[in-house]
Amino acid sequence: MDNITLAQGIVKAAALLGAGMCMGMGALGPGIGEGFVAGKACEGIARSPENASLITRTMLVGQAVSESTGIYSLVIALLLIFST
Amino acid sequence: MAKKKSPILKIFILFILIETALVFVSNGFNKELQVGFDEGKFVFRNIQSHYDLQDRITEEFQIDEHYRQTGETPVIYGSNKTYEFFKNIFGKVSAIGTFQLLRMLLIVDIMLLFLAFLIKKKLLKRPSQPQILFEMIYSTLEQFVIETLGKDKVNFTPYIVTLFLFIWVSNMVGMIPIPGFMEPTRNLNVPLGLGVFVVAIVHITAFKVKGAWGHLQNYLNPVKNPLFLLDIIGELSKVVSISFRLFGNVLGGAIIILVVSSLVSYVVFPVGLNLFFGMFVGTIQAFVFTMLALTYIGVEISE
Repeated sequence: MDNITLAQGIVKAAALLGAGMCMGMGALGPGIGEGFVAGKACEGIARSPENASLITRTMLVGQAVSESTGIYSLVIALLLIFST
Repeated sequence: MAKKKSPILKIFILFILIETALVFVSNGFNKELQVGFDEGKFVFRNIQSHYDLQDRITEEFQIDEHYRQTGETPVIYGSNKTYEFFKNIFGKVSAIGTFQLLRMLLIVDIMLLFLAFLIKKKLLKRPSQPQILFEMIYSTLEQFVIETLGKDKVNFTPYIVTLFLFIWVSNMVGMIPIPGFMEPTRNLNVPLGLGVFVVAIVHITAFKVKGAWGHLQNYLNPVKNPLFLLDIIGELSKVVSISFRLFGNVLGGAIIILVVSSLVSYVVFPVGLNLFFGMFVGTIQAFVFTMLALTYIGVEISE
């Protein structure tokens, strides 16, 4: 890490910048989606409290599925950081 | 009822006590404790740790790269003969990473087998606490299988329960503070293998239910299904999505634990991070993987 040329430094800086932008933009969608799912689940539980366990289970599975795009961006950010 | 502590609370308190004891026994914050087997002997000692974050991350997550950069001889916790055997097979570069992964897979398998024998040995009419836990897991997943696939396909339950227990124990095993221990699901090859196996089982089941041509005409016949190319790509993306979700969650959790405990290492020891990323996210992801496998099988059968 001590002796690198200018071109290698530019590539490293661009990769780190890209990793930050990738995480920041990739976290937008899952955040909105999971909050929407949680709000709808709250409405459902308030309407029918006897189905609370079923609604919570479905909510968790749905949130974990809608989280996957965020996880993909995390994987790409890690690749950008560690493989350049 | 209110006086009796629940087992989850007991586990929680025990966990915090063990981690706190480990922090204080390990003598401050620039040394860490090692417990393990070295050259056949049980070892319990302090080692000087280096707090360069980049080196720690490379050592933890790209162990082959670490030994290639530093040029040290790899530290093996375990049998030297087995490592030499692996080195002869896989070559010098990727030997230690593969050895670590296979050893962790073996440890998880031995833990599951041990649990199974221990519980099967004393099956009682008035069940003990572990028996209640495993009966609960089995009957809950059996109920899901019956709801999704129907009563006549209840023989899928052992596969589903095995998948759940394997991923669950794999996600939890990284919390044990022994050097060299890591989650096997942190390596991409393990979730990818599980995902390929899930999709293979989906198609084998569809062949059995619908017959060979009845299933293949969804993917080969452009008259019946005009978008057959998209369906083929969809089948491939099932493998990618189901495996990268598990892999990314476990790897991201491990990196966050490492980075945060390195940043705050002079003040506190973050106990709750292992609880959240190890237990909560591990359980949720094991459950989601199992549910998705079940849903894929159910979609193929019901058509």
